[in-house]
Amino acid sequence: MTSTRKVLNWIGMGLFVLLGVAATIPLFLIIIDIYSKGIDAINRLGGLWHFLTSEPPSPLSKSGGVGPPLIGTLYMTALGAIGGFALGFPLGVYIGEMRREKLANAARVGVNVLVEFPTITIGLFVYAVMGLVQDDLNRYILGPVSATLKAALGNSVFYNYVSWFVGPLDSFNAYAGAAALALVMIPYVALITASAYASVAQPLREAAYGIGGREFNALFIVMRKVVSRAVLTAALIGTAKIAGETAPLLFTAFGNNYYAPFTGSTGAVSLWIYAASETPYNVQIMSAYGAAAVLLTIILILFISARIKAIHD
Amino acid sequence: MFFIKAYPIFAREGFAMFLQTEWDPGAQKYGVLQALVGTMLTSVVAIALAMPMAIGVAVTINEVLPSRLRTIFGSLVDLTATMPTVLFGLWGFYVLGPFLQNAVNTLAGGAVMTSPSTLFTASVLLAIMVTPYAAAVIREGYALVPKAVEEAIYGVGATRLEAVLLKLRYVISYVLGGFFLALGRAMGETVAVAMVVGGNYAHLTTNLFQSGITISSLIALQFGNARFYTYAEPALFAAALLLAIFGIAINTAAIYLIQKWQP
Amino acid sequence: MTKLEAKNLQVSFGNVAVITGLNLSIPEGSITALMGPSGSGKSTLLRVFNRLIELYPEAHVGGYVYLDGQDIFEIDVIELRRRVQMIFQIPNPIPNLSIFENVALGLKLNRLAKNRKELYQRVKTALEKAQLWDEVKDRLNAPAGKLSGGQQQRLCVARSLAFEPEVLLADEPTANLDPENTAKIEALLLDLKKEMTIVLVTHFPQQAARISDYVAFLYKGQIVERGPTKDIFTKPRHELTEKYVTGRLY
Repeated sequence: MTSTRKVLNWIGMGLFVLLGVAATIPLFLIIIDIYSKGIDAINRLGGLWHFLTSEPPSPLSKSGGVGPPLIGTLYMTALGAIGGFALGFPLGVYIGEMRREKLANAARVGVNVLVEFPTITIGLFVYAVMGLVQDDLNRYILGPVSATLKAALGNSVFYNYVSWFVGPLDSFNAYAGAAALALVMIPYVALITASAYASVAQPLREAAYGIGGREFNALFIVMRKVVSRAVLTAALIGTAKIAGETAPLLFTAFGNNYYAPFTGSTGAVSLWIYAASETPYNVQIMSAYGAAAVLLTIILILFISARIKAIHD
Repeated sequence: MFFIKAYPIFAREGFAMFLQTEWDPGAQKYGVLQALVGTMLTSVVAIALAMPMAIGVAVTINEVLPSRLRTIFGSLVDLTATMPTVLFGLWGFYVLGPFLQNAVNTLAGGAVMTSPSTLFTASVLLAIMVTPYAAAVIREGYALVPKAVEEAIYGVGATRLEAVLLKLRYVISYVLGGFFLALGRAMGETVAVAMVVGGNYAHLTTNLFQSGITISSLIALQFGNARFYTYAEPALFAAALLLAIFGIAINTAAIYLIQKWQP
Repeated sequence: MTKLEAKNLQVSFGNVAVITGLNLSIPEGSITALMGPSGSGKSTLLRVFNRLIELYPEAHVGGYVYLDGQDIFEIDVIELRRRVQMIFQIPNPIPNLSIFENVALGLKLNRLAKNRKELYQRVKTALEKAQLWDEVKDRLNAPAGKLSGGQQQRLCVARSLAFEPEVLLADEPTANLDPENTAKIEALLLDLKKEMTIVLVTHFPQQAARISDYVAFLYKGQIVERGPTKDIFTKPRHELTEKYVTGRLY
């Protein structure tokens, strides 16, 4: 081999590695930036517990936190993840297992497109749907239901929770936010489930059908043995993804700085970071960094537990 | 759905709104061309920066790292994809933007970049954000190069680098697929871009180093305002419709390419 | 004269020892057939000779191999692969490259042709030697993946011959071919041994009997017996060899 070729080889490979490493450096920079400024901010704004429970600071206050947005994030993420999984998983099984069916193929293409869909358009979609159905929903379903519930609960302590959790709904509310998050998560879970199913070896599949007898049983034997890990990972990472989403919440949950009913505008940590970070007020910028540290911690916990699970298996 | 919501503006302006460059709801001006141009500019620059990095990631993982480090490095890249976009935006606004402004102005020897928040800042941030998506697709393809083909390549006396290039050529459909998926991501990304692009929705600029706007960030920044004007919300839905059509077109192209050109 | 020589060669994949202290010398200008049951280490041995074994990160090699008396692990690996070429059990042209590019690739990478004319000439000569030229001369730019299995294998032979190699390693080159294409490849190998040393791994004792000059019989990573083909088939000294050539051991 000529020496030019050798040199070219080294330069070329070195360049690839350099570029590859460059892609991951911002990650470290971001994590360091957020934790160094965020932890400092949390301390200066009144300590961790205060920060996690109190309302966001107004421009002139000296302390504050992300209590209401954090509750909103947890509530909407939980609902969104449950919804996203409850719909995404069966869809993925359908796509992965019934590969020869036309409809399943169409669903696969649809899911593939949806997973890369700009999340802001998903938020707008839910907003538009909400605008259409809100009146009817409140008049015919949520209004009567909450009236009945209130009547039934009477003087008990739960009375107030009805209007907090059930309705009637405002045009911005936590359920619209959760629905948008679920829409973000569905195709993601569906795709991973489908590819996990598709990767199940044919002999194992045949064995499962053989033992299980009926299709439905077979599906679940296969699922338990092989797919559950992949799907669990998908659920965890999918949850991490939606926990940090901002764009789909802009026009659905809208954001709120106070402890308020989920039937109206609801805060989210990501929304607060977005809103507070570019204000001219130092205390709010600090709280944005503190909130970022909280959000990052949630994401890291979800991500690492998913990875540890995956590596262990 | 979007079309219904957007109909009033189409009825009023026709499709001309996509060719007008002024957005000023107070003066009843709803042009989104400046946002369209901004979306194009930022995503093209972002992809130009992201693709080499994405290929670098795929090559580093598949060719250079020992298997144990491979998992860790891969996890880091995946984590980059999982990070909330608002955190990218926060970092982009306070760290990356000022850094780029400094670097560009030092290199150019003058105040070329007048603000830390510009189309260029958005492009660089987008590049960082979409690299893992392109990398994931390329990695998937790279792993599919059969051992027999690899042996053929090395058997004819290829160096490592030459083998890498030949293998990338072999999985070119995946490289293109990754390209389109990342492009779709870059065009649709909202919050991070809204935070660093400068929010100049009023006028058209094609200067990367000036504040600008993209379709998605226009929607994010103006939607709160839109309720107060009759045609602003329909106009934003029209912009979203355009974005959705782009998204579908690009993703369809990507899926088509990956399936059609399977090695 | 000895062209290739292995001394106390050991290869393991992870914890599994595949070749365990193997000694073998391969005479120049002849066809040496390596025979042995599945898993005896034949293909692995070939991949040591041109160091393709290094593509398998879990493989570990110990001992020595000499090419013309020179340690192959001290020869530049690309130089070595140029001199020691290989064809495979499953024909492996690079399917997305054209027929012409497949043969030209190695020459281009190694700057073996001074100009395009010489490159074309060498590709043509290689394809002619591989008896493929007449079938493909009108569609040199077609993707190699479009050729039939037998043509693909001859294309791989041409790709190797373009280097004018000193040694040709053939790893069960006819295992996936029909009888007609098998005959073509066998005739080709017989013709080629005038110019180069050939090491042929084969699963068919009859094939070894038909075209080889020497036979080495491998069992569990060691040479059990080696000698002129005729001797191995008519008066095998080792029980295992006899069992194998008479079809009682696979």
